[in-house]
Amino acid sequence: MSVNQYRSVGSRIFDAINIAVLVGLGMITLLPLLYVLAGSFASESEISSRTFFLWPEKFVTSTYEYIFATDVFIRALLTTIGVTLVGTVIQVALTLTMAYPLAKRYLPGRTLVLNLVIFTVVFSGGIIPTYLVVRDLGMLNSYWALILPLAINPFYLIIVKSFFQELPEALEEAARIDGATEMGVFFKIVLPLSKPIIATFSLFYAVGIWNDYMSPLLYIDDSSKWTLQVLVRQLTGADAQNALSALETVFFPTQGLKFAVVVIATLPILCFYPFLQKHFVKGVLIGSVKE
Amino acid sequence: MAGALMLTTALLASACSGTGGGGESSQADANTITFMTQLFGTAPNPQGELHQAIEKFLGKKIKVTWVPNADYPEKVNVTLASANIPDVMVVDPKSPAFGKAAEAGAFWDLTDKIKKYPNLVGDEKVLLNSSINGKIYGPYRTRPLLRSAVMIRADWLKKVGLEAPKTTDDLYKIAEAFTKKDPDGNGKDDTYGLIIPKWPGTTFAASSPFNVMDVWFGAPNNWGERDGKLVPEFDTPEFFEANRFMKKMIDEGLVNPDWNTLDTAKWNDPFVQGKGGIIIDVDVRTTQLLDLLKEQDPQTYGDKVLTVGNLARPDGKKFSLPFSGYKDILAVSKQRVKTEAQLDELLKTLDKLASKEGQVLLTNGIEGRNFKVENGEAVLINQEDPKVKQVQDDVDKAFIQLGTQASTGTTGIAYPRVPPEAPYRKDLAERKERVAEDLKTAVFDPSLPVVSPTAVAKGATLNPIVTDARIKYLAGQLSEDELKAEIKRWYDGGGTQIAQEINDLVAKLGQ
Amino acid sequence: MATDLAPPPVKAAKVAGHKPDRARTLWRYRWLYLLLIPGLAYFIVFKYVPMRGLQIAFQDFVPFLGYNGSEWVGFKHFVDLFTGPDFGRLMYNTLYLAFLNVIFVFPAPIIVALMLNELRINILKRSVQSLIYIPHFLSWTIVASLTYILFSVDYGVLAGWVHEILGGQKIDYVAQPDWFRPIIILQTLWKTTGWTTIIYLAALAGVNHELYEAARMDGAGRWRQLWHVTLPAIRPTIVVMAILMSGNLLDMSFEQIWLMTNNLNRATADVFDTFVFYVGINQGAFSYATAVGLFKGVVGVLLIFGSNWLAKRLGQRGLF
Repeated sequence: MSVNQYRSVGSRIFDAINIAVLVGLGMITLLPLLYVLAGSFASESEISSRTFFLWPEKFVTSTYEYIFATDVFIRALLTTIGVTLVGTVIQVALTLTMAYPLAKRYLPGRTLVLNLVIFTVVFSGGIIPTYLVVRDLGMLNSYWALILPLAINPFYLIIVKSFFQELPEALEEAARIDGATEMGVFFKIVLPLSKPIIATFSLFYAVGIWNDYMSPLLYIDDSSKWTLQVLVRQLTGADAQNALSALETVFFPTQGLKFAVVVIATLPILCFYPFLQKHFVKGVLIGSVKE
Repeated sequence: MAGALMLTTALLASACSGTGGGGESSQADANTITFMTQLFGTAPNPQGELHQAIEKFLGKKIKVTWVPNADYPEKVNVTLASANIPDVMVVDPKSPAFGKAAEAGAFWDLTDKIKKYPNLVGDEKVLLNSSINGKIYGPYRTRPLLRSAVMIRADWLKKVGLEAPKTTDDLYKIAEAFTKKDPDGNGKDDTYGLIIPKWPGTTFAASSPFNVMDVWFGAPNNWGERDGKLVPEFDTPEFFEANRFMKKMIDEGLVNPDWNTLDTAKWNDPFVQGKGGIIIDVDVRTTQLLDLLKEQDPQTYGDKVLTVGNLARPDGKKFSLPFSGYKDILAVSKQRVKTEAQLDELLKTLDKLASKEGQVLLTNGIEGRNFKVENGEAVLINQEDPKVKQVQDDVDKAFIQLGTQASTGTTGIAYPRVPPEAPYRKDLAERKERVAEDLKTAVFDPSLPVVSPTAVAKGATLNPIVTDARIKYLAGQLSEDELKAEIKRWYDGGGTQIAQEINDLVAKLGQ
Repeated sequence: MATDLAPPPVKAAKVAGHKPDRARTLWRYRWLYLLLIPGLAYFIVFKYVPMRGLQIAFQDFVPFLGYNGSEWVGFKHFVDLFTGPDFGRLMYNTLYLAFLNVIFVFPAPIIVALMLNELRINILKRSVQSLIYIPHFLSWTIVASLTYILFSVDYGVLAGWVHEILGGQKIDYVAQPDWFRPIIILQTLWKTTGWTTIIYLAALAGVNHELYEAARMDGAGRWRQLWHVTLPAIRPTIVVMAILMSGNLLDMSFEQIWLMTNNLNRATADVFDTFVFYVGINQGAFSYATAVGLFKGVVGVLLIFGSNWLAKRLGQRGLF
């Protein structure tokens, strides 16, 4: 790669500003998380008396001790990991398989299906009608209720479809001439070329399931099957909504406890992205074209 | 993949078979009672000690659907639609969703029946408050009737040399001294008197410091009689009197500058930080303040909070703000409890649960296991044992929600829980005296049992008119005349009709 | 892009398929149709079957009574919505925020993605990207409380600095109606930009390196490479995102706005989504809420198809 072009003064100034701005952005997004993390290790009176801090004066682990005193959190964490893994595989598989034919402009009936899909971006039946469908399928209290009703996000589907449309047709054609079937083209050519897209939407779907508290809340009555986010809601949801109703009970979740559950519910999924990042490296596509 | 198609067809067929009021839900099993209620911590295990103890006491199995408190209304709505309504559901009787379902026949009307069960009746006045226009749909969960209080930094009070307040004028003087006389002695002008949080609600039947103050000055508690007719709180001279008083405090800087945006979850912070010195809220906040101050300094925290009850207005006349006395009711589903005989059987069980022994189980726990009784009070024991701690947690965060005749240990028939340290004990003892004293001057809200149809239909548009106008008046954005003009706008937009309906409905109840 | 011009490989087959021989068409594309079926089944079962619930917009829906038992009231809720005293204000507030979203929130991730793309220190690039997507995971409750930490008139850190530098009267940013929209937009930018950047980075990952080399040989500087190679490469993604977002233009984050509303700024803050919430508290108004949803949906459909048409007129591929 030629580097000369990066040596000009204008280019260097641009680089300096670029780095400064991006590092600044990184900082203002990191600081609040550090505050939450520090708060989860701080005493309640410290949280009340200091506006903002990144290191607790007195290091306290009582919130975490409380959370891990029973196996409830561990069980919910394992449940959530399981549902997220299975769910993401199903969601990504369904999205890819549906997006591929929709990317073929010559496929008769494609426009009708696309219209049907786009319609669902703006119209939805609502909570109660969807609940009734889940009930009629006998999925109440089943993990499937956390996955299948959200199996395809129409928004993501359309983006994946448009990504597929940008793939060079020449490759597929070459494969067809070599005698590959449509299935063969899809699995052997299209999927390997789509790693950045698959990585992106694996992340999006996984985070979607991970952060979803409404589905488990509505569809799962059996508290032993609850996911992490329901526990988070239990311990953080009493918030500003109605201070009085929280005071109705002996138990008033402390700020520190709220911070700690946020940390526990956020850190595992935060670690997901760096692992996927290598698929975003430039040149995946071009490398395979050259082969 | 052909399976997917078949699935679709099967689904379409089954999904079109209609919903609601359906009979496919399981017949009530005489030996199992299903409940649905709020949850504040982690859900109890059905094999847990407490759960088992309650089943043993009742001689029946119980199955509880625990729902995180924050999302309870959503869960109630889907449950009402699902044809899976449990036998007993904890609901807010005044919520429109419940009202409509009850009207449609989803729940038993217990108005005539409940009197036969002595433990379920409770206080007749509160029972009526929890009704819909006199129709009673279930026993209520009791809450303290009087709980408004003023919490003051006692150490500051001493520093500025003032006594505990008895009147609003005293309150003003204390707030002024807290603001101007450097009560924390740091030589800086960095303190204020009263701490008021943002109160985004749009109803006058609220316990906001603003409404408490209205009542102290003699305005009605939400609705009240003037010249033989019920009028709203804000259409009385006393209301304006109270607001002039509050505006004066705000204008003079005796109140926290962020009084209309401070998050209620951060209400304690300025008090603990030593920025502000007075909170007007429910009395249990004292416990929270003591907790926080104790963490800060375990030696002196007991001398830092002084709690007094409702205050008299400048002429010495006292009016106290009572609450509704209940929070939610236990409604019985007609879907699963189908016959009168089944209903009687269930009510008998609920009555047993509402007896002293039952309420002690729900709100104290298992005697000799997680608490013992001393002088008629509950003292926690064996809390280091994780198994006992679990029992305690199941009580505090879950089963207490099913208690009807007992609440957090200050009201009802269970044992009051004795806090470990002296300052807490002192507060609890004083609280009892305060409540008894303030009850004598309580101004009750006669409109609590009734629901005005116009208020339901137009509330979203009408309610904020006056609540917002009052805050804008206090913030100096509206003059008193403009505030009055907003009240007139409320009347013209439908308020006149609401007043008429409230008057008619209350007259009909004959109270 | 070059691929735009490439003819579909089986175009000849399509022409042949114009003969009304459906069975043959189906057979020819059997594998493609087979791939389509599971997804289609999903949309029918979980999206279209529940849509019969939209009928409750024309009823006084009582959940317990179900669709068949609830009273039919025709267009009552729509009349209430359009003739209510709040409609004009709600429409104005919603459109105003939507407009700000379009000009500030939509381009932000594109700009950040391009900036990251220009960053050649790989470790820094990856770290920054891993950091700026964190806010997506923090709830609006936390975002709101952080906003107060920064902007509160009493203890706001940032508000305090501004006051020290500029002097004068202290400004109550979180209470004043004038500051409501800027704060909402700042919050949204902070919370969503990093997350959406990921989609554009994925698009950038597909840019053909040969194009850069060719551009460099033609003597193009960085700026011109950005303008003539990078931007055209992600243009289809930008167009698709723009069209899709136009469908949800009137949707606001209820929780975010609700948390930042107070008695002083309500006239500015109320949007359809928060008003529906207030109506819900008063009326348990499933039907009213559904009517509002239908109204927003109709607007959304018009916008989606309108912007798709516009995109095609401008020579873009559009959604379909």
